[in-house]
Order: sequence, then structure tokens, then C-alpha cells
Amino acid sequence: MTGASSLATAERVARIPARPRTWPRTLGVVGVLAVLTALTATPALGGVEIDLGAIAKNWTNGADRIAQMLTPDLSVLPRTWQPLLETLQMAVVGAAISAALAIPLSMWAARPTNPRTPTRMAVRFVLNMIRAVPDLVYATILVAMVGVGALPGVITLVLFDVGIVVKLVSEAIDSADSAYMEAGRAAGGTQTQINRLTALPQTWPAYVSQVLYSLELNVRISAILGLVGAGGIGRLIDEMRGFYRYDALSTIVLEILIVVVFIELASNILRKRLR
Amino acid sequence: MSETITGSEAGGVAPPASGPWPIELDDVTVRYPNGVVALKNVSLSIAAGEMVAVVGLSGSGKSTMIRTVNGLVQPTGGRVTVGPHAVSELRGRALREARGDIGMIFQAFNLADRASVFHNALVGRFAHMPTWRTMLGLASAEDRDMVMRSLDSVGMLEKVWHRAGALSGGQKQRVAIARALSQEPAVMLADEPVASLDPPTAHAVMADLEDINASRGLTVLVNLHLMDLARQYTTRMIGLRAGEVVFDGPAATATDADFEAIYGRPVQARDRLGE
Amino acid sequence: MTALAVRAPIAPPRPRRLAVRIASWTVAAVVVGAFVGLDIEWDKLADLPGDLVHYGSLMFSDPDWSMLPEALRQTWRSVSMAWLGALLGVVLSTMLGIPAAEGVGPLWLRLPLRGLFAIIRAVPEVVIAIIILTVTGLTPFTGALALAIGGIGTHAKWTYETVESAPGGAVEAVRAGGGGLLATIRWGLWPVISPELASLALYRFEINVRTSAILGLIGVGGIGDMLTTYTQHRQWDTVGVLIIVVIVVTMTIDAVSGAIRRRIMEGAKVRGVDRSS
Repeated sequence: MTGASSLATAERVARIPARPRTWPRTLGVVGVLAVLTALTATPALGGVEIDLGAIAKNWTNGADRIAQMLTPDLSVLPRTWQPLLETLQMAVVGAAISAALAIPLSMWAARPTNPRTPTRMAVRFVLNMIRAVPDLVYATILVAMVGVGALPGVITLVLFDVGIVVKLVSEAIDSADSAYMEAGRAAGGTQTQINRLTALPQTWPAYVSQVLYSLELNVRISAILGLVGAGGIGRLIDEMRGFYRYDALSTIVLEILIVVVFIELASNILRKRLR
Repeated sequence: MSETITGSEAGGVAPPASGPWPIELDDVTVRYPNGVVALKNVSLSIAAGEMVAVVGLSGSGKSTMIRTVNGLVQPTGGRVTVGPHAVSELRGRALREARGDIGMIFQAFNLADRASVFHNALVGRFAHMPTWRTMLGLASAEDRDMVMRSLDSVGMLEKVWHRAGALSGGQKQRVAIARALSQEPAVMLADEPVASLDPPTAHAVMADLEDINASRGLTVLVNLHLMDLARQYTTRMIGLRAGEVVFDGPAATATDADFEAIYGRPVQARDRLGE
Repeated sequence: MTALAVRAPIAPPRPRRLAVRIASWTVAAVVVGAFVGLDIEWDKLADLPGDLVHYGSLMFSDPDWSMLPEALRQTWRSVSMAWLGALLGVVLSTMLGIPAAEGVGPLWLRLPLRGLFAIIRAVPEVVIAIIILTVTGLTPFTGALALAIGGIGTHAKWTYETVESAPGGAVEAVRAGGGGLLATIRWGLWPVISPELASLALYRFEINVRTSAILGLIGVGGIGDMLTTYTQHRQWDTVGVLIIVVIVVTMTIDAVSGAIRRRIMEGAKVRGVDRSS
């Protein structure tokens, strides 16, 4: 009898389906990641030199800085009001201008509101290009062009905001139900008329939500714009860094944090109202 | 009321249509880019002021046919004429003006849910409004009056400032009818106008269409898939099956056998709406 | 037609909601106030189109292509920073983010972790780099570390949000089978969330490519460093080359990474918050 039962077991084992061979794919992915990592970590090829020795040797420097930052020096506060106000003004102006520009641009960049493929693709391509340039690069070049001050900062924020607001809003239009378009077309409307009277109210919540988001990002960004001379509180950050005043630096960072949290809370309330 | 239509007047504002108009389909074929032939050599002649039902199962081509009448679908062969407009030959502005004289209502109502009832009905004035007015969101006194009267005639005036999305299905379809009436059309098209409604509401909407035909004298072309509605409310019935006309005769006397020939299968309970 | 023309019906008056009015006026006032308060010579704006044409032609009419090899070398350095920063940042974020998710870690662990992420989110990458460069100097390594640590703020947040939005069935099954915390994570959670985490990791790399150019401005090397230097020396024909390189490289990386992300997410239909696009 034992013979028969062991045979049955063997048969059952044989019926287990073969495990699909996923390991070649896994190995491939891991291999690609490893090779990329190795290449980027090779100084001879222009990659990053990973210098763990420096960390072992100098980590106390960093720890000192952090310790300094953990004891914020509040006496700097009065000096921050003016630059902070400028930062907020820049953020609002940048968001307002880009909001105005984003209305027609989002409509041109979405399929339901702009069925003409060539113009839609052209708008999308230009916006992709605008988004490909980092914000501080704009600021650096604009400062060289129009001089130090809030103007290059505001233009930078406008370019940055238009890039993200148009992308997110046009995607929202693309994914929303747009049957009402057909009714406008059937009534003999031009695309512009349909967009203005029906697509605009339909898109409004997504649009306002993204503009508020861009306002929030603007405050964060304009904190660093000052590093290249484009106005705002970043100027003070740069100055404090120059004097190694890390305790003052952390006060400013804290201040920005509070403002950002406040804007975030306010915009959450507004967003809920709009639903 | 003269019979001549001058096309466009100064300011790009089309005059109201002097209807009703006949509809002519002459050897119309629609072949979609994916190769599907939705209409095969359809020839029809609908007299001014007729109330005609187009009956067929989904996929029979009735949706395509009704859309060739206002040029939302352009035929790949043949000719469509509505009153003075050779719709199948028109493009751009001339086509939009022709559409302005042809009202249309849809199965899914196609309202902009977030816009007010007023603004949805104002869509019907597109062909009569210069674009700058639409851009500013300013309706002229006449446009406003026209919209209010249309809403009043379907009993929706008191909801004029409500959001379209907040209405019930029957109310939405009434707003859609008001939108079409605001066009002051000569012809009214309806694509399965009651398929999304419950039986009592469906009868009410069909009665509205009957009234539009009787009291305003508009030519009405309505797609239906339910036999009893076709018999009760229309005078003439056209049966479509696989893109071809298989029945054309008085609706009231159409027998169950006629419907079986149109459907290509025995009549079932779901082909009737009931009361 | 006649029936229509008989009377103009009396429409109900358009409702004016006070709250909406107040809100609109407040927003308008804030915007106008910001415009007026901002110390900008707006007439300078009139010169801007002319300036753009002028500098645009300086940059792009005859770019100094002899700088291309150096530009590409510096770009590779920036991309290396971005890659290593993303790798390290994602590993750290995953290790810290998963225990910070509700249903995984205990409250006494979750709260401090989330607080840490919030603090890091508030500190600009540039400031983080300023601290780190006291340890590792003005080197690309500093840039990579700044990207890694700065990335934890948002990335760990995305990680715990992903975990929390994952369907809980698998986790419960492993728990029911008597698995401990690590077993639960490995066999219940990981298979469900790994596609989205992989997608987010690639997205982190895309973000880092942009941020690494910014870090270059404080001197840690890479294309941003080169761009600042040549802009300050107003060598516009070189700046033109650099901008073209930045745009082409960034758009290419975005396109490739985006395509891979879509494949990952289509391969595994994980429900969750889609921040990836």
C-alpha cells in the first residue's frame, strides 16, 4: 500500500503548475538599477564621488549647525516683516497673473475645449518646455536681464505657475464628462462661446483649487528666489547664511512654515466651499 | 415672414428662422473612420411641420442619422438639406448658422451641471449672439427675454438661477428643451429624449414635443426605441435597421409585425414603456 | 411663434449671495493691494518683450556649441546627483514612511515621524544643502545628500498616504495568519503598494533632476552651477547652449520616466491617490 500512496503523492506534486519565471525580469530591473547607480557614483565618469570619510570626519560641523538652528533667534523677527510682506505680495501677484493667463491656455491645451490637434499640441509643447526649466534658472537669467528686484521674481513665479496650473487644469478638463459640448455645437456655437459659457463654470473648482495650490508653492519658492537677487525673504536667508547666523536662519524658515500652513488651511476651507 | 434666409447680417447675428422647414436626405451614407457603415444610401423626405419618429434598436444608425441633419456628423456620401440650408455642404460659420436654426435635445440632456439653468438655456442663443457678448457673459435684453420665455413655456422659470446639476432628470430635459427653444428653431431634433427618464416624466416630455409640433408648427424628428411612444405621439414612423430604412408609414397604424420587422426579432416587454 | 411673443414672463430676481460677494471683493482687494504694494517699476515691463528678443537672440542666434561637451558632462553630474539622491531618499522615505502609516506603526512612533517629515518639508533644499556642505564641502555628494534628505519630507508623506489608501484585505489576511509586523509588511502590504511606490520613486527622480539644477546655484556643481557662472559673466551664447541642454534633457527624462510609470501603474491596478501625473 505504501507504494501506491507515494505514487499518488508524486502525481499530485507533478500537477502543481510551474511557478512563472519572474526572476529574469526582476534580475533585469535590479541589474539596470545597479548599473545606473554604479555609473552615477563613478567620479571618473563625471559622476558623484561618495565621500563617506568626510561624513565620519566632519559630522560634528553639521550637528553644530542643526543645534544652532534648533535654538531660533527671535530677535531677527522685526527685520523679516518687510521682506516677508514682499514675498507674500510676489506670491499673490504671480498667482493672479498666471491665473488670468491659465484660463485661455488650459482651454487650448485640453481636447474637449480645443478639438484642433495642431494648436493643442503646440500649446502643450510650449508649456512642457516652460516646465522643463527649473524656477531658479529663470530667476537667475531674468535678474541678469532686468536687474535685481521683485520683477524677475514675479515673472519667474508666473512662468512656473502657468506651467503647473495649465497642466493640471487641462488634465481635469480632459478627464471630465463633456457631453454639454455637443449641445453647444448643435446650437451653432463657436468653440470659444461654448468654452466661455459652459466649460468655464464646469472647470471652475479644479481651476481655483490649482491656483490656490500655486499660491502656496509661490510662498515656498519665493523663499529661495532671493538667493539670486529676485526679491523676497530669500534675500535675508542669503544674508544670514553669509554671516553664519543659523539661529536667525531657522527663525525665518519657521516663519515661512507658519505662513505656508496658514495658506494651506485657508485654501482647504475655500476648496471645500467650492464643491 | 419671408421664406428667404440671408445667411449672415452685419455683426454676425443670424435672424431667427422662418419655419417650419422640410428635411431632405438624398442617398445619404455615413462610413466612420473605423470602417463601420452606420447609414447606407438613406433617402427620406420629411415635410415641413411633420412629427416623425425614427425607430430602431441601438446600433441601427438612428443616432447617426439625426446627427447628419444638423451636421454633427457629416455624411461620407449623399446630401442633406434642411429648409434653405444644404447642411451636408456647409462648413464653419455657415454650418453654425444652419445649426442655430435647428434645435436638438439629447438622451443625456447634455447640460453643464455647474452652470445655472439660465446660462445653460442661453447656450441656445449662441448663433444669435456676437462672440464678444458671450466672452463678457452679457446677454442682450432680447436674448434674456427669449431665454426666460422658453424656460417659462416648459415650466422651469422659477428654477432659472438654480444650478443645472441640482435638478431632477425630467427638469433637466425640460431645461434642455428650453435651450433648444431659445434658438427659435425651425426644426427640432430629439435623440432618445426619454430613454433616461421614468415613465410619467417620459410621457410629459413627449407631450412637450407634441405641443412644440402642434402649437409652434415646428418640424419634429425624434429618435425612439419604444413602439408605444412612437404610436401615441407621432404621425409618421421611419424604421431603421442596420443603417437602412426598412419601414416608412403612419405611426398610429403600425402593427406589432411592422415593429418585429424593424427590430429583427419578436416584440418584447421592454419595447414598450407602459403608462 | 405667436404664443411666444405674447408676454415677457416675470423671471425671479437673480440671487446675490452675500458671502460670495464679500469673498470676491476680499480677493480683489488682496490682489490689488499686492500689485500696488509691490515695489516694481511696472513700466520696465514694457521693455520686457524687447529685452526678451534682445537676450533671446544673444542666447540662441549663435550658441557656442563648443561648450556642448562640458555642458553634457555637467548635466550628467546633475543627473547623477538626482539619481543617487532619489535612490537614497526613496530608501530612507520607505523605511521611515511605512511605520508612519496608520494601521502599521503605533501612535508613539507615527506622530514624531510625521512631525519630522513636516519639518523637513518646510526647509528649502537649498538650506538643507547649506547645512550639509559644512560636512562634505561644496561637492556633488553634498547635492545628492541634500536631495535625499530634502526629499524625505514629501516622499515619506506620499509613502504613508499610499500605504493608508491601499486596500486592507491582504494585510488582514496575514495578520489573521498570525504574522508579525514585519511579516505583515512584507507579505500583506508590499505586494499591494510596491507598484505605486515604484512609480512615485521615478517621479521623485524627475523632481530631483529639476532641483539638482537649483542646488547648482549654491556651488555644489552640475549644470546649475555652470549656468549661474556663465549667466553672471553674461556669456549669453554659452547660456543659450546650457538652456537648450537643460530643456532637452529634462523633457527626455520626463518622457521616458513617465512612460515607465504608466506601464508600472497599468501593470498593477492599485487604487490610490494619483499624484504621479
